[in-house]
Amino acid sequence: MSATTLRLGGWLSLPVRRRSVVVGGALAAGIVVIALLSLTLGRLGIAPADLMPAILGHSTGPDAIVFEVLRGPRLVVGIAAGAAFGVSGALFQTVTRNPLGSPDVIGLTSGASAGAAAFGLLWTGILPLPVGALVGALAAMALVWLGTGRGFSSPARMLLVGIGVSAMSLAFVQYAITRVGVEQATVLASFLNGSLASRTWGHAALIWVSVVVLLPCALLTTRRLQLMEMGDEQADALGARSAPARSWAVLIAIGLATAAVSVAGPVAFIALTAPQIARRLTRSAGPNLVLSALMGAFLLTLADLLTQQSPFAVQLPVGVLTAVIGGIYLGYLLVAQWKKGTV
Amino acid sequence: MEASAASKPAGRLAGLGLRLAYDRRVVVPDLSVEIPDGGFTIIVGPNACGKSTLLKALSRTLKPEAGTVLLEGAPIDSYRSKAVARQLAMLPQSPIAPESITVRDLVARGRYPHQGLLRQWSAADERAVTGALESTASMELADRYVAELSGGQRQRVWIAMVLAQQADLLLLDEPTTFLDIAHQYEVLELCSRLHAEGRTLVAVLHDLNQAARYATNLVVMKEGRIVAEGDPREVLTAALVEEVFGLPCVIIPDPEAGTPLVVPKVPA
Repeated sequence: MSATTLRLGGWLSLPVRRRSVVVGGALAAGIVVIALLSLTLGRLGIAPADLMPAILGHSTGPDAIVFEVLRGPRLVVGIAAGAAFGVSGALFQTVTRNPLGSPDVIGLTSGASAGAAAFGLLWTGILPLPVGALVGALAAMALVWLGTGRGFSSPARMLLVGIGVSAMSLAFVQYAITRVGVEQATVLASFLNGSLASRTWGHAALIWVSVVVLLPCALLTTRRLQLMEMGDEQADALGARSAPARSWAVLIAIGLATAAVSVAGPVAFIALTAPQIARRLTRSAGPNLVLSALMGAFLLTLADLLTQQSPFAVQLPVGVLTAVIGGIYLGYLLVAQWKKGTV
Repeated sequence: MEASAASKPAGRLAGLGLRLAYDRRVVVPDLSVEIPDGGFTIIVGPNACGKSTLLKALSRTLKPEAGTVLLEGAPIDSYRSKAVARQLAMLPQSPIAPESITVRDLVARGRYPHQGLLRQWSAADERAVTGALESTASMELADRYVAELSGGQRQRVWIAMVLAQQADLLLLDEPTTFLDIAHQYEVLELCSRLHAEGRTLVAVLHDLNQAARYATNLVVMKEGRIVAEGDPREVLTAALVEEVFGLPCVIIPDPEAGTPLVVPKVPA
């Protein structure tokens, strides 16, 4: 047996899979390593000996600026935004019972892009893109909710309407880009790829509060979501009341993805790939929320580290890299499973 | 004694004046049914006659537009949903096996109604899962992935999952569909054994001869109504089959089991 039971007195007993614990521990360690590297590497990197003082706010001079302004917020935002994307994707994939169900496909991310583009078009100069992203994402989800004719209760309709909303949003983005000035188009394009450059502690606070509040809510629905993987009818028969569980899960997923998109832009592929990779590494059925969170944080910070430090990707928006890394890894996993015949 | 027994349905599960519909399409206009305790009730009828719909209503996965389902004499929706699931288990027609799930984990999901948020696994859960795997002869499959199993094995595993629920009432929606004939009888024999062990079973089946062989109570439906119910030896007549299915036939005793055997006539 690969599962043991975590017991605490008579009131707590949770089944824990050893493989999940190992994968989770490895991912957490990986995130720590990435964090250290992203603070210390490069021309402006903080020397390892000066790292603790910088983090505690005791240092002055360049180290303080590097930590407080350039790299600290960026890293902290990256971890939480990655986790939020990962959990959001896991929730969407479970309620739609479709590996493609993710905020990318369902129209949320494109809606955020369209919102940002619209704000770029309307308020030239100030470009409050994150606010636009927030509004756009929520508007897109409202459209999907209305478009299905029965809210979020039908996974297939949700995906189809989502793809439609997504296409319309992207068309609008293209339109907006041709209408704004060259300079703005550049800023807009960088945001639209998803970027962690020049984040502030304000962004960090927003995304961390969202994750700290919404992740526990998501964890409370885990057991019912597991049963819903077997079909709503089976879940209902087991006493897991699928309809309210689905509504909660979708609302939490929208909340997390919207928060992530508004601080990091529509970063591609993290929400889609993190849960899939987590599931394949742990070889267990869904929704694997904690591991999806860790995997999302790991992927996003890794991609961001590469955009900061690797010679071939210098200063690319991180979204370009996540698309490449996520896409390649998912492709590799799918091919490996096709060969084994277990897709 | 007799008066009080007559005022309340004798069975633990009953439907009274049920009106069942999907969106606005009414499938069952007005139907009452009583499931005999300790019996093996099999519901038969032509396609779209509402037999699966009735099963869904009895398992409270479909809410009736009118009428009530009574469990232990009280309306089923007056219970907490987990409390219902501890008394009544239902296997839908095509349950979905989650990706990369092992047989043991799937069967363990049947324990949900017995678990709490913080107490998710107990010795009783372990025993129930082991017992369910043993009584469906699936112990040797426990650590395999569900996706790797054959159709017959998979159906056994799903039945093990509802057995792990340890409910006395088992509702099965077409448990033999998609199985070859040997595996169909394997599943029916398993059901029959569960019934002999004291559980109350309700199943929807397509094959009249199988239904006649295994049912202790046959419910024949047509267009949302119950046309006949009772012991299959008394209920299943050539006239009834012709009326309900429009199939001219003769009924002979099953040479093996002695139960009615439907033999369609050769068209003249």
